[in-house]
Amino acid sequence: MPIAPDVERKKPWEAGNVFVALILAVLVPGLGHLYQGRIVKGFIYLFGILGLFLWGVKLGEGVVVYNLPEKGLTRKITLHYAAQFGAGLVSYPALWQKQRVAKNNNTMIEVDRTLSANFKGILIESNSDAEAGKLDGVIKLKPESGEYGPETKGTFTGKLDGQPVKLELGGKFFLDRPIAAGFRRTLKIGVTGGIENGRAIIGSIPRPFFDGYGVPPDQDQLQEVTGRLGKQHELALVFTWIAGLLNILAIWDCVQGPAYGFGDEVWPTPKPDEKTDPDKLDPPIPVINATTPV
Amino acid sequence: MPSSLFILAQTVNVTWYLLPLAMIISLVYSASRFELPDRILRRAIWLFLQIIGFMGIVFAVLWVLSYKM
Repeated sequence: MPIAPDVERKKPWEAGNVFVALILAVLVPGLGHLYQGRIVKGFIYLFGILGLFLWGVKLGEGVVVYNLPEKGLTRKITLHYAAQFGAGLVSYPALWQKQRVAKNNNTMIEVDRTLSANFKGILIESNSDAEAGKLDGVIKLKPESGEYGPETKGTFTGKLDGQPVKLELGGKFFLDRPIAAGFRRTLKIGVTGGIENGRAIIGSIPRPFFDGYGVPPDQDQLQEVTGRLGKQHELALVFTWIAGLLNILAIWDCVQGPAYGFGDEVWPTPKPDEKTDPDKLDPPIPVINATTPV
Repeated sequence: MPSSLFILAQTVNVTWYLLPLAMIISLVYSASRFELPDRILRRAIWLFLQIIGFMGIVFAVLWVLSYKM
């Protein structure tokens, strides 16, 4: 039912403590609205903004949320990250992941403990890197003492081009840093037994979420991801930027209420005489010029 | 025209992400303007159609300008 705009109504954005609502809205899109009892709007913001942000992270394979200011510049926050920052908690890991990635975070040429993980990758010829089949299965590696010092050995059990296979692994080993951008960790090791002897496998194992999320990528990794994903990576960035910027509207709405009101107000149309009657118009502003005596 | 649309659908598939993106922007923007859910929804649908319509016009203009190129 239409309502006059000057009617006093209960304003839901004034329910509860405004500072609590503000903090909740800043941390998680829509949470401030849910705290105020504005359930529908809360879920619109929660699923709309947070969903858009996480969709962007998924599209960009996790190499999306980071703060990577150019060296030599005084600005410590990039515009890229400033836009994402509005989305709240989901963007904050980038603030400390940069410090984590710089400490004791090296690629590995030997495992230091038993490792078991799902592996996806390819079998390659050692001398030419030509692909000899796709691999999907479980890799188990452990450190062993060899003739020339510690070595990494293990097995791969899974499928090679859809056919069951078990590979004995050993020899030259490489494992990406434990903390780096993205949710996959590159692994390469030689094949030492069976009919695939002399070949190598290259692929990736999962990286724990908190070791991959919000970590700034290095130039090589950024180039690899943008080259492989192309426009999809750019779109992923745009999704997170838009989500961050949209949450600013949501925060404002949480604290000050909607910009245009409830939406069912009927604004009275001005009568023609109110427009033209000179007595009802504002008095003219006196014009002061250089010749007017003060 | 149909063949170019088909090629567009096949090769520029990221374009289809525009639809959910426009939908979310319309919904969130409208929610920040009004309080009542039905008003938010009506306004969001109208805004979504405006965005898609504008993009459609831009596409049509570019398609005409690039005709036989």
